[in-house]
Amino acid sequence: MVAVMEIGGLAKSWGGRPVLRIPQLVLEAGSSYVLSGDNGAGKSTLLRILAGLEPAKVERFAFEGKLLQLGRLPAEVRRLIGFVHQHPYMFNRSTLANVEYGLRLQGVPRHERSRLAHDALTWAGMAEFAGAPAQRLSGGEQQRVALARAKVLSPHVYLLDEPTANLDADGRRRVLELIAQLAAADKVVLIACHDLEMINLPGVVRLHLENGSLEGEGPALRALAGG
Amino acid sequence: MDLLDTTREAFRLLFSGDPTLWGIVWVSIKVSILALILAGPLAVAAGFSLSHVVFPGRRLLVILVQAFQSFPTVVVGLLLYLLLSRQGPLGALQLLFSQPAMVLGQMIIVFPVLAAYTLSAVQGADPRAYETAASLGAGRMRAAMTTLWEVRFAVMAALFMGLGRIISEIGCSLMVGGNIAGLTRNIPTAIALETSKGEFAQGVALGMVLIVLALGVNVALAAVQGQGGMRRAW
Repeated sequence: MVAVMEIGGLAKSWGGRPVLRIPQLVLEAGSSYVLSGDNGAGKSTLLRILAGLEPAKVERFAFEGKLLQLGRLPAEVRRLIGFVHQHPYMFNRSTLANVEYGLRLQGVPRHERSRLAHDALTWAGMAEFAGAPAQRLSGGEQQRVALARAKVLSPHVYLLDEPTANLDADGRRRVLELIAQLAAADKVVLIACHDLEMINLPGVVRLHLENGSLEGEGPALRALAGG
Repeated sequence: MDLLDTTREAFRLLFSGDPTLWGIVWVSIKVSILALILAGPLAVAAGFSLSHVVFPGRRLLVILVQAFQSFPTVVVGLLLYLLLSRQGPLGALQLLFSQPAMVLGQMIIVFPVLAAYTLSAVQGADPRAYETAASLGAGRMRAAMTTLWEVRFAVMAALFMGLGRIISEIGCSLMVGGNIAGLTRNIPTAIALETSKGEFAQGVALGMVLIVLALGVNVALAAVQGQGGMRRAW
């Protein structure tokens, strides 16, 4: 398996109190990871650090074999790391414009941008809401638009923070279907969640955060295991 | 001349297109809009940086910006006068008693107003807006612009507030403009002069224009705030 994201010597403190100490974490292409842990264990913080949104002390960070500074990821690398908040933020514009946002930054021509965004919305089952103001959508709909907004940029890594939290049964089922499709592609999917159904999915690598340390299975923590 | 005659004469001046009166109005509008255009981008950028970038002394700077909102305009005028006077450090520029000096003064007055309101608007913005933009590939500048766009109604309100403050200020314009007819005489300085001469008609006419301008700015402000409020309520 090819390592897509490697992080070594990660330490994060809040007000001098250490909250995360992760000697090694390796995320491999085509693998899905489920990150569990109690509330406040640092799941969201870890995802935000990996997305380059939260400063942390990191000794080594490599993305697709290239050594980089995690706090100063170039825009072209950040685009390859799709991060979706627990409660995704929708820009105050149409649903279509939200999905087009990242493509616009890349300078994708208008016609192509619109086509790709429509395709992504169709994938998420949200095509009929393309012209609707995104901030008016329900929580589940916003979550699906956020997944489409991330997917349209073809990221190599998806970091999903509690994607099914606070969703009703139907919204949760639809979001789970989309995540399953992302995981089936040759991408890295790391999901922070409490959702037992997701934690117990076959084929996922289970990671658990406790007292700031990561415990888990498989090669993800190979240095921890002495590998 | 009694109040009725004065008002009648004021209306006559307004509706006859009196060139002196409308020239004064034009100076006011030109100077204030120019000051707003020149100070606006810098002040909005400063407001955003103060709310978003952590650096030593930021808290002190925030307090200073907020305090300078109510800095007396006549003191701004005095300080600028000292800088621009022939013996002052900027005397060589020969800007004293000119429209550029008035623009400079109004820029100094409006800067903290715009910066403080932008700061407040960005602090009230959802932090996920910046993060979402950044995670979708936006650089710092683009993510900042996206965040400002998300709070555009509050930023526009700040611009209207700033315009309202400078278009009616008299202290600084009088000090560095010198109230020169046809050159630096604007609405507030003209009203003060005409009243001191006992010529009330032009003062009343200009006062009406100022009130209409102030009302216009406030109506625009209310409209902008109303629109923003409606959007937030979704």
